[in-house]
Amino acid sequence: MVSAHSPEHSTTTAKIVVAGGFGAGKTTLVSAISEIPPINTEAWMTTAGTLDDPLEPDSDKSTTTVAMDFGRRTLADDLVLYLFGTPGQQRFWPMWDDLCRGASGALVLVDTRHLDRSFAAVNYFENDSTVPFVVGVNMFHGEQTHRLDAVRQALSLHESVPLCAFDARDRAQVAGALVGVVEHSMARTARPAPPRPMAPALR
Amino acid sequence: MPHILIVGAGQSGLQLGLNLLAAGMDVTIMSARTPEEIRGGSPTSTQCMFQPALQIERDLGLNFWEEQCPKLTAQRYNLGLPPDGYPDARQTTGEAAPPWLRTEVTPFTRAIRFTGPWEHYTQSVDQRIKMSSWLAEFENRGGTVIYQGVMTSDLDSLTALGRYDLTIVAAGKGELVGLFDRDASRSPYDRPQRALSCIYTRGMTFDPEYQDWAVSFANIAGVGEFFNMPGLTVDGDGMQPCNILLFAGFPEGPLGFHAWRERLSPTEHLDRIVRAMREYVPWEADLAGDIEITDPRPSLIGGYTPTVRHPIGHLPSGGLVLGMGDVVVANDPITGQGANNAAHSAHIYARHIIDNADGRYDEAWMQATFDDYWNYAKHPTVFTNAMLGQEPPEHVGRILAAAQAGHEAGKPVIAARIAYGYTTPSDLGWMLDPDEANKYLAEVAPEFATPAPANP
Amino acid sequence: MATPRTHPKVRPYVLTGGRTVTRHRLLVHTLVTVPYYDPGLAAAMLPEARTLYEQARDGCSVAELSALSGLSLGVTRVIVSDLAAAQRVRVHAETYGSPFDRRLLERVRDGLRALA
Ligand SMILES: Cc1cc2nc3c(=O)[nH]c(=O)nc-3n(C[C@H](O)[C@H](O)[C@H](O)COP(=O)(O)OP(=O)(O)OC[C@H]3O[C@@H](n4cnc5c(N)ncnc54)[C@H](O)[C@@H]3O)c2cc1C
Ligand SMILES: Nc1nc2c(ncn2[C@@H]2O[C@H](COP(=O)(O)OP(=O)(O)OP(=O)(O)O)[C@@H](O)[C@H]2O)c(=O)[nH]1
Ligand SMILES: [Mg+2]
Repeated sequence: MVSAHSPEHSTTTAKIVVAGGFGAGKTTLVSAISEIPPINTEAWMTTAGTLDDPLEPDSDKSTTTVAMDFGRRTLADDLVLYLFGTPGQQRFWPMWDDLCRGASGALVLVDTRHLDRSFAAVNYFENDSTVPFVVGVNMFHGEQTHRLDAVRQALSLHESVPLCAFDARDRAQVAGALVGVVEHSMARTARPAPPRPMAPALR
Repeated sequence: MPHILIVGAGQSGLQLGLNLLAAGMDVTIMSARTPEEIRGGSPTSTQCMFQPALQIERDLGLNFWEEQCPKLTAQRYNLGLPPDGYPDARQTTGEAAPPWLRTEVTPFTRAIRFTGPWEHYTQSVDQRIKMSSWLAEFENRGGTVIYQGVMTSDLDSLTALGRYDLTIVAAGKGELVGLFDRDASRSPYDRPQRALSCIYTRGMTFDPEYQDWAVSFANIAGVGEFFNMPGLTVDGDGMQPCNILLFAGFPEGPLGFHAWRERLSPTEHLDRIVRAMREYVPWEADLAGDIEITDPRPSLIGGYTPTVRHPIGHLPSGGLVLGMGDVVVANDPITGQGANNAAHSAHIYARHIIDNADGRYDEAWMQATFDDYWNYAKHPTVFTNAMLGQEPPEHVGRILAAAQAGHEAGKPVIAARIAYGYTTPSDLGWMLDPDEANKYLAEVAPEFATPAPANP
Repeated sequence: MATPRTHPKVRPYVLTGGRTVTRHRLLVHTLVTVPYYDPGLAAAMLPEARTLYEQARDGCSVAELSALSGLSLGVTRVIVSDLAAAQRVRVHAETYGSPFDRRLLERVRDGLRALA
């Protein structure tokens, strides 16, 4: 635990959010850098059945579980960094807002074999959040399968959003990517006027 | 005094919270967003509110913007037709191309126009201003606010905790509605009926013929509806008057969902709205020569299925929650009833909660509270759903013609009755039923009414 | 289906102390500590509140409190805010006014560089 036995002792906490589509490597990344095993918490949502046969009585309710994990890294005696992995489903946006509130930056993980799975996360940080973000390509086989500019194009990522590649299992590489996140936040918040947000979808 | 938990800080949740706080209750609101996030975010509505709902806010001392906000004194109706007359609905198959994908663009003409004056004005205060301020106000007045994106699992454990005597879910159209069963008998639609594309603008000029603030509305044959609603919106840290423009497109029409699928920057979005105005409501485009967006996030695009739900949510651990506002009755925005409904629901719920402060908020009480609200909400719901047809029924055509004749003769009785109906939908029976309509037209305005066709 | 567990006359959930407004927002990474642990008070608490109260003795974030106590984030926040209003726990304000404060970002960056 964070040592805080004396109420005078004041620890500073900071937070970086790790987002990305299903299976992009969020949990792997958090474990790589966390000093505790990532804590996985689950919340669930009752979801109405699909309305394919809408005039039937609403018996087809289902429960969707969303999992988020978080890890912790003590960076100095009085400085703790928390990493929060967001749940994959973007439609539970209130949860995303909650996790992102007060974050110093975000890393959106993409798996180049399934870029589409990370669209929702990229959209969220582009349109619905003020947290600066960096997109990170998780090199599942230790190598880059796609050139970064091809990834940028496929994600139609604005040139002001940094893109990097790393192995999510490797602590040093993950730390390097997080340095990039923090540096981007420093740059972004030092000068005004990020790119204009896009027209959002109705929530 | 009972402890009340409200989930959702919108029109209904905050109004109820502030109302109960004034009655001395212990109230906690869980809000997915902070005041700064609400204010700095995208708009959530066009939020025109009519006299009865505005009066509820006044009585609670919550009408903070009454003087700054444009006072809309009338409702202007227009019917836009393509140059070659009413389109044959049967000919439209597939998705019609929006104006910006066509080389040929023919402006529509205004076939019908009239103005219905309101005795009491209508106002639209941007919910970004209202909800961010009300939320801060709620906290200042001693309410507890917890910033939390609430999941069903939270509701399950919160109701089991026993901390609150009553939990109200006022989370709008968000995912929490999944907890409440759709009431199929009151929900005729199973998919969104209109593609909504809304933008906040400034710089629009007055219609030279009127020179005052009014809601301007158009039915556009084969396309959908257009609204121009003056309101009060954000301006950096301050506020400014604005014109809120909204197209509600038939799903397959030229302004259907496909027309807005691309991700657009605010200025690109405005550009498309203006192009659509030039074709479908050119008389409005004439007033929009110098318009610009009001803020960095001025747009709202989407659509939702009009739905009435059963009001009580049952949690697996046995807890019960009561839905309010859009959670239980979500009407399509084309009649501008939702925020008004939300205000009425919060008003009615507050009365029941306060009256029952010494009793139990059990299932029977919940159902009775909703039923009381439904006695109000059934009128706007039936009205709105009737208006979602893509072609006006024959008798409505005659009402509109008579309203125009009266308008031209300087006697806008029919137009005023229609405008009044928007504020008080229980009065609209005469318009929804062909026989009632004939009777009314024959009574009040025989000189304007064209006779009903003989029954076949 | 069980009946609701509350009844206005029998309130199972009682906390001592007057309410004061907690101005600090309870973010998932906000630190919560117990300034002075009172075993007597702990014993009189509802199980959920007691679990959190004891967990917070070591000082931890709201998210950790929730996960380690097995309580939902919603319940955790409600109880922490009640305990804070009664001054039984301390909700630590963010050291810097903003998550983008340069001093904070520089410290985090330097700490991460040491790991890279
Ligand atoms: C384009 C458009 C135009 C409209 N025009 C009009 C009009 O002119 N006149 C009119 O009367 N009505 C209009 N409406 C409808 C009106 O805006 C709504 O009916 C009204 O705002 C509903 O109020 P509410 O309190 O039920 O919900 P909302 O105002 O939607 O508030 C719900 C709140 O709950 C929060 N929330 C959601 N999920 C969660 C969660 N899981 N945890 C915590 N908080 C959560 C949301 O962030 C939000 O703050 C329009 C709607 C649209 C979309
Ligand atoms: N070879 C290799 N495997 C990886 C790497 N990163 C993740 N994996 C594997 O990919 C799978 C998914 O990774 P997770 O970290 O669970 O992904 P996640 O984003 O947390 O997934 P969800 O929480 O289910 O959305 C696991 O089996 C990991 O072991 C990597 O860099 N290299
Ligand atoms: Mg995971």
